[in-house]
Amino acid sequence: MVSAKVKETLSKVLFTAAAIICIVAVVTIFVFIVAKSIPALSKIGVFDFIFGDVWRPDKEDVYDQAINGKYGILPMIVGSIFSTVGAIIVGGVLGFFTAVFLARFSSPKVKKIFGTVINLLAGIPSVVYGFFGMYVMIPLFSGISPTADGSGLLVTSLVLGIMILPTVVALSKTSLEAVPQSYYEGARALGARHEQAVFRTVVPAAKSGITASVILGVGRAIGETMAVIMIAGNSPEYPDGLFGSFRTLTANIVLEMGYAGEVQMGALLSTGVILLIFIAIINLLFGLVMSDRKQHGSGRRHLREIKYDFSKAGKVLSWVTAGIVAVVLVLIIGFVFIKGIPHITPQLLFSDYKYGGEPSIGPAIVATLMLIVISILIAVPLGIATAVYLNEYTRRGSRMVKIVRSAIDVLSGIPSIVYGLFGALTFVVWFGNTTSILAGGFTVSIMLLPVVVRSTEESLKSVPDSFREGSLALGAGKVRTIFKVVLPSALPGIFSAIILAVGRVVSETAPLIWTMGSVIQPMPTGFLGGGATLAVALYALSNEYRYMNEAYATACVLMIIVLALNTAAGIIAYRLQRKLQGEKNVKRKKRY
Amino acid sequence: MLKEKKDTDVGRKNGTETNVKKAPFGNSISVKRADLFYGDFHALKNISIEIPSNRITAFIGPSGCGKSTFLKCFNRMNDLVEGCRISGEFRIGDVDIYSDATDVNELRKNVGMVFQKPNPFPMSVYDNIAYGPRTFGVRKRSQLDEIVERSLTQAAMWDELKDRLNKSALGLSGGQQQRLCIARALAVQPQIILMDEPTSALDPISTGKIEDLCSQLKEQVTVVIVTHNMQQAVRISDKTAFFLLGDLVEYGDTEKMFTMPHDKRTEDYITGRFG
Ligand SMILES: Nc1ncnc2c1ncn2[C@@H]1O[C@H](COP(=O)(O)OP(=O)(O)OP(=O)(O)O)[C@@H](O)[C@H]1O
Ligand SMILES: [Mg+2]
Repeated sequence: MVSAKVKETLSKVLFTAAAIICIVAVVTIFVFIVAKSIPALSKIGVFDFIFGDVWRPDKEDVYDQAINGKYGILPMIVGSIFSTVGAIIVGGVLGFFTAVFLARFSSPKVKKIFGTVINLLAGIPSVVYGFFGMYVMIPLFSGISPTADGSGLLVTSLVLGIMILPTVVALSKTSLEAVPQSYYEGARALGARHEQAVFRTVVPAAKSGITASVILGVGRAIGETMAVIMIAGNSPEYPDGLFGSFRTLTANIVLEMGYAGEVQMGALLSTGVILLIFIAIINLLFGLVMSDRKQHGSGRRHLREIKYDFSKAGKVLSWVTAGIVAVVLVLIIGFVFIKGIPHITPQLLFSDYKYGGEPSIGPAIVATLMLIVISILIAVPLGIATAVYLNEYTRRGSRMVKIVRSAIDVLSGIPSIVYGLFGALTFVVWFGNTTSILAGGFTVSIMLLPVVVRSTEESLKSVPDSFREGSLALGAGKVRTIFKVVLPSALPGIFSAIILAVGRVVSETAPLIWTMGSVIQPMPTGFLGGGATLAVALYALSNEYRYMNEAYATACVLMIIVLALNTAAGIIAYRLQRKLQGEKNVKRKKRY
Repeated sequence: MLKEKKDTDVGRKNGTETNVKKAPFGNSISVKRADLFYGDFHALKNISIEIPSNRITAFIGPSGCGKSTFLKCFNRMNDLVEGCRISGEFRIGDVDIYSDATDVNELRKNVGMVFQKPNPFPMSVYDNIAYGPRTFGVRKRSQLDEIVERSLTQAAMWDELKDRLNKSALGLSGGQQQRLCIARALAVQPQIILMDEPTSALDPISTGKIEDLCSQLKEQVTVVIVTHNMQQAVRISDKTAFFLLGDLVEYGDTEKMFTMPHDKRTEDYITGRFG
């Protein structure tokens, strides 16, 4: 029997260690990527790298010889910026008007259903979006493309626009709803019509929140990898018109990582650095807008009088965009389901795969499960312990909390392909120099940390202090209070966090391709063996036009799993909450 | 009585370090020259008081005068407040509770506390009561059963609750929850129970039940109760202490204090002229 004091100290050490691991992870990733990019940058020359417009790598290039290849990434920088701007034009506009519609024009019922569906959209794996773009939108645009090939900037912008829609809608809607009702009522009292009050008073008051939502969308678009490589064309050139083939920074990394020579790999790492700089700038802007918002309150700032009254047009646009978004939603989900469901066969799902034989996703399902086990085993205990440390062991506002929290923020902002790059050069090397489920699991678990830490912290915060006081006042120590009272009360939140994390593992593709495996393989033999997850299998199948039906079926399975997980997360959280809150009738009394 | 003896016997058998080191806490409280600061704010000013055992002592005074703060000194709940500094001598029985040798958890076992808002844990009634005993190493179901029954009986709610021991405590009414919290505190057989406005969130009937309960309890424990309700102080307490802006203005027998207060400020307060 360990004495109480030892137990307390030991626990504190463990919780602190978890938090420190999070900091170490961030620092390691940054230092690693930057340090490893320096030799290549000095060989190529920073200026030639950033402003060079020819990318023609040479596998034979090594650091101690003159290089023959050319490594200029300006076309990719331009490609990333163009496609992101395109995405913002599409997703920002659609998202803004949809948010206005949901916040101020729709009936509560429509709002609830529509809102839920849009949230589901956020959970759909990016490889499914890419698949949709590849199989539905590109053929659609091929008719009007001068090259008879629909891929390129236009399709990429549209797909990315749809992908950032949930981000833009969610935050914009929240800030529109946060505008004090008195503003709206004040405008109405002066004789303004509903839409005038909304567009001339409420919207301007929510401006900073809406701006912030768009900035978040920019971050998401610029970091996206899989959807882009499936539809952009990928030639390392400046985008030439709406249908010109182009390549983004993220695509550059994932496309060449698997077979890069020495200098080339350095150039890819440098591409990662450029990407991180972009993300840092975006985060900085976001921070500025948000702190501005806090200082001025969401609406107390002086509102500029708007000269022209667009409110009528705005109202029409809100309805129209909401309609468009609804149609697109139904289209994406419906199309994949209709085309996919008939081809979900036992043969596809459950049989093993033989090289050269008919494709089967049985092995992919097993590999996905194994990946889930590894990454959850690592990320969940670490994440929960970090959250406990942040919420139970530190003073609010202490420096350590700030450091850990910014580490978590940074982790959640890093584009997934950068994790892939890091994992491929570390975990893959550690675990036998070959792609493996273990390497993939380690890579993904770092990405999961922010998800787990944040939602666990949220639910720990929602545990009333009176529970803690009650336990301490009975003579229970801190550890007992945490394990017997605080964590059990926070369980619903923690549970749904875990399920969300599982959903994330199922959806990820980019970081796994070069850490775990990129082609469909037979049943995994163990954690040290490789394998393709379902999402990766979908990517692999999409590239082989011979197996369209199987690809549709896989996309469908993937979507069903993710949607089921998201729904389950909601239901479990709700059920447990109810159970914890006592008998049913009590709950009912409170609610009605 | 017989039952109680048995429980302590069992406690010893199960004993680990916690019981071996058991400090001889008594059930009277003695405070000498206590000062308390929250950061720069001087919340308690040079307070000395002797609280007798097996009596009910009421703390009264206007909002913000430091009643809760003072109460929380007795079970060191103030340790949890950042920037809180305490000086002076606090003794329970003969034990200096702020000395390094004192085990805080052991202290809190002996000095139970009931809060203003009922705070049952989100567990069953049974597990709520068993929480304290389990904390101190009681594991056997039969012992726990006994403790639960004894504590609920002591809190006069065994008949009410014996059929719903496995239901969530959060499903109880506010008054029941508060009495459950008292039973929960009683389960570890404390010598002293601190109550911070235990009835201020309750209806009059529940309040009455809790007041009756306090009067019964004083045979076994010392009760210190903070209250805003002057009538309540008169009804149940033996001694009353009146606080104002961090000072202990007057302390004495309740009856005397409410009929013949020494201090003008006490008189103003109990006759409702301020506060
Ligand atoms: N954690 C804290 N930090 C700083 N100041 C505090 C803290 N807790 C209490 N105070 C201050 O100490 C003084 C005494 O507070 P306390 O809660 O003890 O008053 P009280 O007499 O119990 O009042 P009430 O009747 O409203 O419960 C108040 O002025 C309060 O603002
Ligand atoms: Mg108080």
